[in-house]
Amino acid sequence: MMQLHAGATAVSDDPLHAPRACDGRAPDVFRPGGWVPMRQYRESEPVDFAIVGTGAGGGTLACKLAEYGFSVVAFDAGPYFRPLEDFASDESEQTKLYWTDDRIVDGDNPLQLGSNNSGKAVGGSTVHFAMVSLRFRPEWFKSRSMLGYGADWPLDWHEMWSYYAEIEQALKIAGPVTYPWGPPRPRYPYRAHPLNGAARALAKGCEALGIKWTETPLATLSAPRGLARPCVYRGFCVTGCSTNAKQSALVTWIPRAIAAGAEIRDLAMVGRVEVESSGLVSGVHYHRDGRWRFQRARNVVVAGYAIETPRLLLNSATARFPNGLANSSGLVGKNLMTQSNQAVWGRLEQEVRSYKGPPSLAITEHWNYEDRGKDFFGGYSYMSQGPLPQLWANTLFNARGLWGNSLVEAMKDYNHVVGLKIVGEMLPQESNRVTLSEEVDQYGLRIPRITYSWCDNDKRLIDHSLKFMRRALEAVNATDIWIQDDDTCHLNGTARMGSDARSSVVDADCRSWDIPNLWICDGSVFPTVGGANPSLTIQAIACRTADRIRALARRGELEAGSARPSIHRCSIEVQRL
Amino acid sequence: MHERRDRYPGYDVLAKWSGPSWNDKTRDVITRRLSIAPEPRFFTRDEYETVVAIADRIVPQPAVRPPVPIAALVDRKLAEQIMDGFRRPGVPRDGEAWRRGLKALNAESAAAYDKRFAELPEALQDKLLRAAQSGELKAAEWGGLRCEVFFKHRLGRDIVLAYYAHPTAWSEIGWGGPASPRGYVRLDLDERDPWEAAEAKDGNDATARRSNRGVR
Amino acid sequence: MNRPAERDLIAMAGIAASGLALASLLSSSSARVRPPRWRLAAPGRNRSSNPETVKAARRLNRAAGTLAASVLADSSVEHYRGSFKNKAMYTPLLVSALTLATSLHGTADMRPLAHKARDATYLLAAATGLVGSGFHLYNVGKRVGGFSWQNVFYGAPIGAPMAILLSGLLGFCSERVREAHRTRPRIFRLPAGRAIAAVTGAGLLGTTGEAGLLHFRGAYHNPFMLLPVTLPPIGAALLMSAAGGGPGRTHRFTRWWMRLLTGMGFAGVGFHAYGVSRNMGGWRNWSQNILNGPPLPAPPSFAGLALAGLAALGLMKAHPDA
Ligand SMILES: Cc1cc2nc3c(=O)[nH]c(=O)nc-3n(C[C@H](O)[C@H](O)[C@H](O)COP(=O)(O)OP(=O)(O)OC[C@H]3O[C@@H](n4cnc5c(N)ncnc54)[C@H](O)[C@@H]3O)c2cc1C
Ligand code: SF4
Repeated sequence: MMQLHAGATAVSDDPLHAPRACDGRAPDVFRPGGWVPMRQYRESEPVDFAIVGTGAGGGTLACKLAEYGFSVVAFDAGPYFRPLEDFASDESEQTKLYWTDDRIVDGDNPLQLGSNNSGKAVGGSTVHFAMVSLRFRPEWFKSRSMLGYGADWPLDWHEMWSYYAEIEQALKIAGPVTYPWGPPRPRYPYRAHPLNGAARALAKGCEALGIKWTETPLATLSAPRGLARPCVYRGFCVTGCSTNAKQSALVTWIPRAIAAGAEIRDLAMVGRVEVESSGLVSGVHYHRDGRWRFQRARNVVVAGYAIETPRLLLNSATARFPNGLANSSGLVGKNLMTQSNQAVWGRLEQEVRSYKGPPSLAITEHWNYEDRGKDFFGGYSYMSQGPLPQLWANTLFNARGLWGNSLVEAMKDYNHVVGLKIVGEMLPQESNRVTLSEEVDQYGLRIPRITYSWCDNDKRLIDHSLKFMRRALEAVNATDIWIQDDDTCHLNGTARMGSDARSSVVDADCRSWDIPNLWICDGSVFPTVGGANPSLTIQAIACRTADRIRALARRGELEAGSARPSIHRCSIEVQRL
Repeated sequence: MHERRDRYPGYDVLAKWSGPSWNDKTRDVITRRLSIAPEPRFFTRDEYETVVAIADRIVPQPAVRPPVPIAALVDRKLAEQIMDGFRRPGVPRDGEAWRRGLKALNAESAAAYDKRFAELPEALQDKLLRAAQSGELKAAEWGGLRCEVFFKHRLGRDIVLAYYAHPTAWSEIGWGGPASPRGYVRLDLDERDPWEAAEAKDGNDATARRSNRGVR
Repeated sequence: MNRPAERDLIAMAGIAASGLALASLLSSSSARVRPPRWRLAAPGRNRSSNPETVKAARRLNRAAGTLAASVLADSSVEHYRGSFKNKAMYTPLLVSALTLATSLHGTADMRPLAHKARDATYLLAAATGLVGSGFHLYNVGKRVGGFSWQNVFYGAPIGAPMAILLSGLLGFCSERVREAHRTRPRIFRLPAGRAIAAVTGAGLLGTTGEAGLLHFRGAYHNPFMLLPVTLPPIGAALLMSAAGGGPGRTHRFTRWWMRLLTGMGFAGVGFHAYGVSRNMGGWRNWSQNILNGPPLPAPPSFAGLALAGLAALGLMKAHPDA
């Protein structure tokens, strides 16, 4: 197998077409053309953990588990980029970061996926995410019992608070000196970035309406860090950061994971998790270099994000588990939650030029923490915006219905556009779900069908936010105000965690109730989503899961065959060519 | 041709080509884009002609400069199978959706005016497109593809994205363009770096033009 | 290349002038005996009348000049970044350039007489510093968020105009010292050496505050960033104690510390240059990184103050009651 890789890399260094992480080395993300040594594992001998997906959940977990001494192989269907040399300043070119494999969307409010929803690369969606790094409001972890909606998490917010702090340190989050909402948190490791014009407008609006605002805590550097350079305010964040300022999993957790002995396999699409007759999983079937392969593993972690995770579990159905793996509750794929992402746009007389800097430099979480005056459950935050030209043109066309001269003329106002966009909580509903379609993709795997409809509560929340943001824009004398009412962002749910096997898919440790050596560790495990962007919480859960796995291993409570980390370390077989 | 005044007179984002705002990767990508010849590879000649006509209505271009080859840009995207990755039930994959939509649009045009879409006068083309936008076209050729879905999620989307992927369009709207390694320094309201487009204010073209000539 | 706009030229000229002037100021100490020919305009009569006060005065001129050079370069860069939006933003460039020229003149001048034009310039510099601080305060206060961290980090630097104020004050002191060849050197009836030491100490503290603020903004990501917030306050304390202490002390340690601070001030430029190189694109992307990276001209203001401290200590040594 290794020889085949060697042949493949020798042919070309196109990360989209030939795997890069082979031959005992992986791309050095900090040096153009550079490499770092990488341990490799035999397929025939079980590794402690095979992890499917290297994004916010999988990448973080791979790093932590490797650092705790477990043998880890992490698979990603996407390419392994070196941002400095592979990323162009170009919206079209950078669509190569997105998961654009075929998917069917339906329901009353079909989701727009692609660029807006998931990534396909080592580092996952964090390679092109907008870097907004928020903590959950503590009450959200008990939203059913404390706020009367959704479902309770089996986690305690105090514990999460310390994991949040760990992640904020690990990513050198640049945030305000003091955060205006929620219980105290340690100071962000790096200082907040300067505001751009769009953020300034948000701030003015908030002050006019008498609510608090702050600089958005962002996972992009405001000062150098090792070989990573600080943000240059180029504004291409959601098309990939060629500066390496963005603290994506690709430039944070993954290099750490490799240094700690994990192996990353890029362009490796996992198609099925194998279940043995014992009822335990024994490894993963994956497609790389033009053929299907099998990696044996003592534990499998699925971390493919809220569509690919249930898809893989459903596609792995066997005679014993005809409804898919970990699905005795029937909940795999259900309770998909996106977040509402509606916007109010307007025109300022001043030049805004919101293309400069990260798109959301200022935020208000007022309506996440204030419950009075709401006719809906849940909360929302709203942030300043900085769409690049293609995205903006398509917004004017798609959401405002402009074309012809009216579109061309409206586009000439690009530099005066100001906008506010929410990240709003949507309630879990079983009818919003991921199922399998009969059609198949390029690997011959059944493609997912994603059904989504807003409920009344979702609509009331959106309504509230749009009215409020309109006032905020009016307060800064914006003219030509209009509403974009159909956008959504982020994907969560579909394998929710809980404290009861009948009403959840995994327990608090992200371990599936049905198969003790099958774990799910990504955005899928969220029982509710809150009105805050999810990645910080996904990473905090991954850190917690790693700690729990280490504790379980020490107590001998991992499934038979799972070795204790300290013992296993010595028995790892490293293969270098 | 109706008068369309330059908001950013003399600004050409390509003047920054060899400056610190562009890196090699970006230059490669844009070189490839600028070298796309206005002829079909994915579409048939007939289809291509229809796309050209549609693109002219969705994003009309001034006659005073070389046009952005929108149809060719869309064509290459489809030829390279760069897809959105999501579609509604009954909607075929991107390339197939285009083929079917174009066929249906020409069928509508033939039924109503006895002409191909590309041969219609602009006003009638607009009328047909508006009918597609509002879901009024029902010819059998549409099959399971609803005309308003095709218009919004395929036809218009691809054309708009193609046009605004072109440096000519970037210059037209005064966007700073590619920006790596150099990004921006002056971020606040009414602030502009010397390497950004200056807007003509109150009909005062000369000042803006002078600044824009200095953009590197 | 196209012709740069006039404000690019002004900013570049400011930086160039400050660099040149700084070099000549510093080399003047070694050229004490025979001033280079191009400075002959500043006549060197009466060289012998009271060498100690003149020497101290010239050292103060040099300190004032170093500060002025730092201000000239810093305000050129910063106000260029601010696009000279307000015409008043040219003021510190003009005034610091004038102060710098005046200081050069003073450094070369051997006469024990105050100079009217120099006096006027130094007072102008001090006034500019005061007015500038007011402007900057107003600018920060009127931004949304008022005196928030965001605005003190990224708005007009409140402490920066203080450097030109200090330059003016030191220059003014130098004139008082210089003319005191018959009497004890005094400033506003205070013993000159002690007064200058105290002013310098306060200046060091203020400058430390500025460095502390900006290095906090940089999250002290490099441990060397701690130096300018630890060494100068110690220097300030030493100067204060010299100012308050009894006569006849030699202040050897304090002098040594001032030399250390001078070195730190100039080494800081090197550190900041390294900082610029660590930003995306490094020096090739200078048009962004000189503005967004750590400010190159800022650290020498520590050197300027330390030089003033040395002058004050020298004066106190020569005139135990000064
Ligand atoms: C445009 C955009 C902006 C965003 N902005 C923010 C933001 O500002 N703040 C925030 O908190 N969140 C943001 N998000 C959301 C955030 O990026 C995601 O919530 C987060 O990355 C999800 O983590 P994950 O581990 O669940 O999945 P991902 O990070 O998406 O990782 C999943 C990985 O698994 C791989 N994979 C999937 N299936 C398979 C398989 N079968 N075999 C092999 N590999 C597989 C995929 O290729 C992918 O790399 C944004 C998302 C997008 C799209
Ligand atoms: S704005 Fe900053 S984080 Fe965003 S792409 Fe540019 S350098 Fe990266």
